[in-house]
Order: sequence, then C-alpha cells, then structure tokens
Amino acid sequence: MLEAVTSLPFAAAESLSTTAGGFLPDAIGQLRHEIDERMLRIPTRLNAYGYDPWGFHVDTTRRSTLVTSLLYRYWFRVETHGIDRLPPGRALLISNHAGQIALDAAMISLACFLEGEPPRIVRGMGEYWLPTVPWVNIIMVRTGSVVGTRKNCIDLLENEEAVIAFPEGIRGMNKLIWERYQLQEFGQGFMRLALETHTPIVPIAVVGSEEQAPGIANLRPLARLLRMPAFPVTLTWPWFGPLGMVPLPVKYHIYFGEPLQFEGNPSDEDEVIAEKVEQVKGRIATMLAEGLARRRSLFW
Amino acid sequence: MARFPLEGPEQLFHFTQAATPPKPPRAHRGAEPGEKLLITGIAGGKGRLIARRVADFFQIAGVDRVPWQGAPHNVRLHVVDLRKRKFEDVFRTERPDALVHLAFVRHFRSDPEVRHEVNVLGTKKVLEYAIAQGVKRIVVVSSSYVYGALPDNPYYVDEDYPLNVSRTYHEVRDLAEVDQLVTAFLWRHPEVATTILRPVNTLGYYTHSTIGHYLKQRYVPTIMGFNPMVQFIHEEDVAEAVALALQTGAHGVFNVAGPGAVPLKVAIRETGGTAVSLPESFARTAIGQLFRLGLYPTPPGAINFLKYPCTIDGGRFARETGFSPLFSLEDTFASVRH
Repeated sequence: MLEAVTSLPFAAAESLSTTAGGFLPDAIGQLRHEIDERMLRIPTRLNAYGYDPWGFHVDTTRRSTLVTSLLYRYWFRVETHGIDRLPPGRALLISNHAGQIALDAAMISLACFLEGEPPRIVRGMGEYWLPTVPWVNIIMVRTGSVVGTRKNCIDLLENEEAVIAFPEGIRGMNKLIWERYQLQEFGQGFMRLALETHTPIVPIAVVGSEEQAPGIANLRPLARLLRMPAFPVTLTWPWFGPLGMVPLPVKYHIYFGEPLQFEGNPSDEDEVIAEKVEQVKGRIATMLAEGLARRRSLFW
Repeated sequence: MARFPLEGPEQLFHFTQAATPPKPPRAHRGAEPGEKLLITGIAGGKGRLIARRVADFFQIAGVDRVPWQGAPHNVRLHVVDLRKRKFEDVFRTERPDALVHLAFVRHFRSDPEVRHEVNVLGTKKVLEYAIAQGVKRIVVVSSSYVYGALPDNPYYVDEDYPLNVSRTYHEVRDLAEVDQLVTAFLWRHPEVATTILRPVNTLGYYTHSTIGHYLKQRYVPTIMGFNPMVQFIHEEDVAEAVALALQTGAHGVFNVAGPGAVPLKVAIRETGGTAVSLPESFARTAIGQLFRLGLYPTPPGAINFLKYPCTIDGGRFARETGFSPLFSLEDTFASVRH
C-alpha cells in the first residue's frame, strides 16, 4: 500500500522521462543519474540493508529526491550561494522559516545534497505528532528526519551528521505576508545543543520562501478545533481547494553563512544563552537584508 | 571545567566549592572457575544455551518446572515449580555462588495471576533465597520491551530512560515490575554483583520469543502506514552476554544491543514471511477478539511495537564488558528463516 502511494509520483516522473525522451532533452534522466552518482558519495554510514540506525534509506530518498529536485531546479530555480561554507562533519543549520509548507527545509536539504561537496543528507527534526500519522511517519524517517527529541539531535550530531533546525518554529512558518522576512522570536534549544555537542552553527538565509504562499490570516480557533498547529489562509488557500496549496513559482536564493562556533555552559541561564542566540539571529537578519537588496525580482 | 571565579562573593558560600567526585562504585570481581551456578528456567531455550555456554567454567545446577531431556551429564537438574516450598530446598542443597534467573512466563497462554505470581513474586523469592544463601553474583535477563514503544520515543535510549511499557501495553507490566524489583535489590545489596540485562528482540532456533513466533508466521500482520526500526540479536549472543556478565562481575543495569536495526517489514521479508498490512482499527479489534478466544498469541497492546520504535543503546554494556555481537543481522534472520 505504502509502495503504491509513494511510488506514484516517482513512477509518473519516470514514465514522463521515458515518454518525453523524444522531444525534451532528457532532463529527468540526467537528474536521476546525477542523484544516483551523488547518493554514492554521501558520508552517512549504512547497514547491509541500506538503512542507517535512524531509518534513513538510500533508495527511498533517491526516489523522493527526484521529485523534489524538479521543484528545486524548475519551479523555484534555486540559486545557492556559499555552499562551500558547510563544514564537513557535524553542523547545525539554522535558517529563517516561512511559507506555510516546509519547502524551505526541503530546498536547503537539496542544496546540501545537489551542490555540497561531499553531498550531504540533512537531518530534519520532526514534530512530536508526526510519528502518529500513517505513512507520513515512514516517509519522514526514510528520508533522514527523526522526531525532534533532544537525544535524537545529540546522537545525530555526535555521528557527524548535519541537522537542520528552525528556531522560529511554527511562529515563522505561518507568518503573514506583511511580516515577511521579519524574524520571529527564536527558541533557545538549538544553542544549548550546539554548546553541549560543540557543533558549529551554519546561519542560512532563504530569500523567496517567504512569498511562496502569501498568508493573509491564521484562523487559530479553527486550527484548535481541527487539532492542527495552524490554519493559514493565503491568497489561494483554501479558496482554490487542494490546488490552492501549490506555492507560487518564486525564485529561491539560499545563502550559507560562515559557521559560528560558540563555547560555553549548555545549562547557563536563559539570558546568557539568549545573547548567543541573538548573534545567530542577527547574522541571519543581515544575510536576509543583503539577499533582499540583491534580488532583482520576485520571480527571476 | 573550573567555572568558578577565583575571587568574588561566591567564594563565601560553602556550596560553590567543587564537590568531591563521588567514590567509584565498589568493583566486583568476576566469577572464579569452578564456582557453583544455579540457573532458574534452565529447560527453556535461553537456559539451555547459557548452560552449555558456561558449562566448562561453572558447576551448574538447574531448576525448571519441566525436565530437560538430554541435558549434559554434569548439569544437576531439579524439577520444581518456583511457586512451591520445595524451591527453597534447591537453594539450601545447592548453595550456589552465582545465579542466573530466567524463570519467567512471557507468553499469555496462562492466567494473568499465574504470570504475576511466577514473574513478580517468583523473582522476589529468588532474590530473598539468594541473599539467605550468600549468592555472590546474580544475572537477571529482562528485555528491552520494558521501555515501551511510544510515538515520541527517541531512538537508542539508554538505561536511565523510564520504563514506559505499561502506558500502552499493560499486560506486560509485570515484566517492568520485575526489572524494577531487581534494580531496587541492586541498590540495596551492593555486596552482590547484580546484573540486569535488557536485550533487544532475540531470535534463534532455541529461543521461544514472542517476536520469534511473530516472524515465523507465514503471513505476518503489520499496521498499515507504519514500519518502525526494530533491533535484533541472536540468541547465542544473549548467552554470550550472560556469560560475560558473570565472568566480569558487571554490577548494574545494561541494555544489550545486537548488530543493528532494520524496518519491521525488512525483518519479515528476510525471515521468509509475507507482511500483510492491516488498518489499525481493524487489527486492534481482530487481534483483541482472537486473543480472547486464544487464537492469537499476543494482546492488542503489542500492536504499539509494530508502530513505534523501541530501540536501545548498548554502549554501556559494551564498555563495561567488551561485549560485541558475533552474529550479523543476516545470520540472525537466517536462524529463524522458514
């Protein structure tokens, strides 16, 4: 059943690549080739069955990456700047978060996979309720994410993996359009983890994601009623039904900053940690401002 | 790590003095060759393997409710029920130096009261008799199930993680109770080298484990939309872990992890079964009904182990004893392939 559900888009993409082979330059075939080649070079260690200890699976990820890479290359036409600043070994990627759907996470991961040397699998920290959702829990785990518990994060970092976190959390994700590129309050958990595991923090600014689904309201009472973390209303959702979830084809620019190394006691008081968090937030804000100043247009 | 300023008001306070490091726990010596070892539940699969593994090292006596046909000639057997008075006589006549406690009811075929009586009260008695007879080392084989399978479980929990199993699977709470009973004993009697082992899913020819029976089915029920990572270990490696615990005198609670983890459905495929995905609501009702009629071996609470991970970190035991599993995942699956 899962196979049927998850392989549908892959099968569609693959059949498209064969039937369209005649008149399209075989873009999908090439992309698949590139993904296969890069997947061989990821530093993540796997067991005899192709899984890592946290359930990451190469073949599943290869297929899902094919679909999301099409978004990366042809929908958002992502331009990645400074990917060489991603250090080898453990790293905590910290970025702004917006756009109602966590496509920014997917695009940052793809930047690290498609442009990084060596290609990296970025490990996401999922919400606590995600493991209870059928199929979603499997896809989440097979593509390299885990439940965002402290222990999982520490274990992954100590295994020299790159972990991505959005300290704005849901506050950033459901920003309204007039709040775009205004960083919301940052959580402190990521900084304590970085201090505890001596992990460099890579600040990332994503320009484009904050306009992909312009939110005009967030119906909190309805969200509570439906037990959802938020109920966003955008220019297209829910007016056009499921089609309204399709993000605008904005152009993405992803800026990787110089890694920041912090030292200190991970169990310091909030004020001490907040000071360090502000440095990261300030760095991302500057990178966002620079990126916005450099941007010529929303769509190209 | 000196974080205290040399001068300042903090110095006035007594509690800013660097605390003296706690004394390392009293090291226990490992077993000497020729010590007397009593194994409870010796006729079970694990008991037989452990007895054979340590037969050259210890003088072995065993006790079980059923006889062990074809036991090695140098193993003295007592066919006694652990709930009976005669059980205490075994301790009096054998006067063991070491004890491996395996006499647990892990299946659900018997009355829940019998389960509780054997597992919880039985363990209590065993520990009392052991103290009365001056046993120097005790190994109790618990299991990783005691942590429970819950959606927000982190992967690879260590021994300090709470024993959550009864939150969703109350039929096996007696096993968590046993574990905690022995943990309390471990702290109360530091003079006895007590080892609690919590091995992961044990597979093998001899062992009758719930997971073994589950995987040996031709069509194996799974829950639609879930496929958690599951760890496995070969039964011989569990026997090895018990032997190491005895021979090193490791004192404490230890997870025993095997060669690794795979998704449940990979394990089903590798052991030769066919996974059948059932919608959860249907599976819960069907398994509940079949279990009540005695047609299915596990109650519906076990379904959580088909949905969520319950994985452990075996690092502490490996560091303490040098344990490393000999059997790979392939070997482990091959041992129950049908």
